[in-house]
Amino acid sequence: MLQPKWESTTRTRAASHVVLIVLLSLGALVMVIPFLWMLSTSFDWGARLTVPFPPRFWPEQLTTRTYQMAFMNIDMMRYLLNSFIVAGGVIVVSILSALLSGYALSKIRFKGGGLVLVLALSTMMIPFEMTMIPQYLLFDAMNLLDTYWVFYLPAMNYAFGTFLAKQFMDQLPDSLREAAIIDGAREVAVFARIYFALCTPIIATLIILQFLGVWNDLLWPLLALNSPDKYTIQLGLAMFTYNQGLNQLPAVIMAATTVSLVPVLLIYIFLQRYIVESIALTGIKQ
Amino acid sequence: MEESISVRKKKFFSQKDWTGYMFVAPLVIGVLIFAIYPMVAALLMSFQRTNGLSGTWVGLDNYIRVLLDSTFWDSLLNTLYMGFLSVVLGIWLSFILASLINGLPWTSWKNLFKSVYFLPNVVSAVATSILFSFLFYPDEKGLLNFLLGLFGADPIGWFTNPSFAQNSIVLMSLWGALGYNTIIFLAALQSVPRDLYEAAEVDGAGSLKKWWYITIPYLRPIFLFMIIMGTIGGMKRFTDVWLIGGTAGNPAGTLLTSVLYIYRNAFLASQMGIATAASYLLFLTILIMTVLMLKLNRRDTI
Repeated sequence: MLQPKWESTTRTRAASHVVLIVLLSLGALVMVIPFLWMLSTSFDWGARLTVPFPPRFWPEQLTTRTYQMAFMNIDMMRYLLNSFIVAGGVIVVSILSALLSGYALSKIRFKGGGLVLVLALSTMMIPFEMTMIPQYLLFDAMNLLDTYWVFYLPAMNYAFGTFLAKQFMDQLPDSLREAAIIDGAREVAVFARIYFALCTPIIATLIILQFLGVWNDLLWPLLALNSPDKYTIQLGLAMFTYNQGLNQLPAVIMAATTVSLVPVLLIYIFLQRYIVESIALTGIKQ
Repeated sequence: MEESISVRKKKFFSQKDWTGYMFVAPLVIGVLIFAIYPMVAALLMSFQRTNGLSGTWVGLDNYIRVLLDSTFWDSLLNTLYMGFLSVVLGIWLSFILASLINGLPWTSWKNLFKSVYFLPNVVSAVATSILFSFLFYPDEKGLLNFLLGLFGADPIGWFTNPSFAQNSIVLMSLWGALGYNTIIFLAALQSVPRDLYEAAEVDGAGSLKKWWYITIPYLRPIFLFMIIMGTIGGMKRFTDVWLIGGTAGNPAGTLLTSVLYIYRNAFLASQMGIATAASYLLFLTILIMTVLMLKLNRRDTI
């Protein structure tokens, strides 16, 4: 805008930018309205039996009792805790596996490393829907259905994380490892003391991606878990709605849904940069 | 003798190699047990009549039965329709959105819009489906029907009317997925070389022309990537249709998708052979479509 040739059109350009902002704001409103309706309804005593008419975005009778009812009727505390446990386990297993192999592929350069990478990456294209039936039967045969091993064990197979970890470690200097090895350090120590610490940015990204993935997943928990006290939050919420029938008890269901969104929304608000960057990065790389 | 063997072994696999294998062991075990083995097991199962515990070899019987099952074709067509519509609408909408956001001169506004449009992306399919079942409430109490009512239109059974249900699902997934592609497009738009635009400006091209003749062709690989990823994602649709339409894919089976078909056969009817055969057919469909898109793209560029 500082360039002289644009000076004459500055006014029209400014006007077009305002139009742009108005247009984009309208679109943004469409994105936000469902959230506003959900929040309002979740605090709306008048919406506990049926959807209020005409639609409103502020509760007629503000209450938190709908939340109490949600926690009483749906075993929310347990489901939330379960989801945190599952997410925590999957994060530890998958990221450890990804970092270990990423390190080996990038720094140790052992025989057959390329083959391992190609093998892992090519299986990334296999949709889970293809493998879910034998995987279910495998866990059934091992008597591990309805336990959280169904989440922790497959987490070892984290090809995408391995790929990102290798890419990241490729940018770290080899000299750190070489110097440490000459000083007599063991490979594990080199990995744990030097490179692990340097990988913090990629670890943060992988933790966030894995947390969102595990927290929001439904299909595998639906297949592998039977006992209600083992349900994850998505499964618990889904089963309650499924059994109750859709469109019932708006306020209570919206309260439960809101609670189920709190962790991901907090992550989004505070760690958004990581999410957005990782998506832009992976989207272009792939 | 023993010594010479161990010496030769040392030569082939050094200490360094063994360390490497230790490090990649978890990944390799994971890949073998949870990717390679299930693929092979599913293939073997698809040639058997089996409930998962014991089975008898039936050759191509399962594939024939699936291919002759009109429900399978219905589910495939439903899946393709919803997938195709979501991909086409989603990519164009998000590309226009990204171009508009990119046109803003103020970074703070850009970041604000980026965050808002991406927000629904972190919401689970379960939460989205539950929320939209209320917003799409079938009588005038639903927000969308209320808005229609303001224009004098009759309420629509978004998720209950067979002729609307698929489009409603597409609408809902647009809300959820729009931001993802927008973020990728925004990053990609930064990568278009400035001098291309400058050269076009010298030739007197307006911003719309630049957009059409420079930006879009330049971002062609990104479009291809999104079409392929979107198609694969669309073919795997399950959670939302299961929650909204049940295992029957109601209303009137219009929300019965391929994965729901597989799920029903495997876990409701215990027909693991039929289910795995259907899953291989689905996989083949995805594979063929991907290869076709890559081929078409290559031919056009030459």
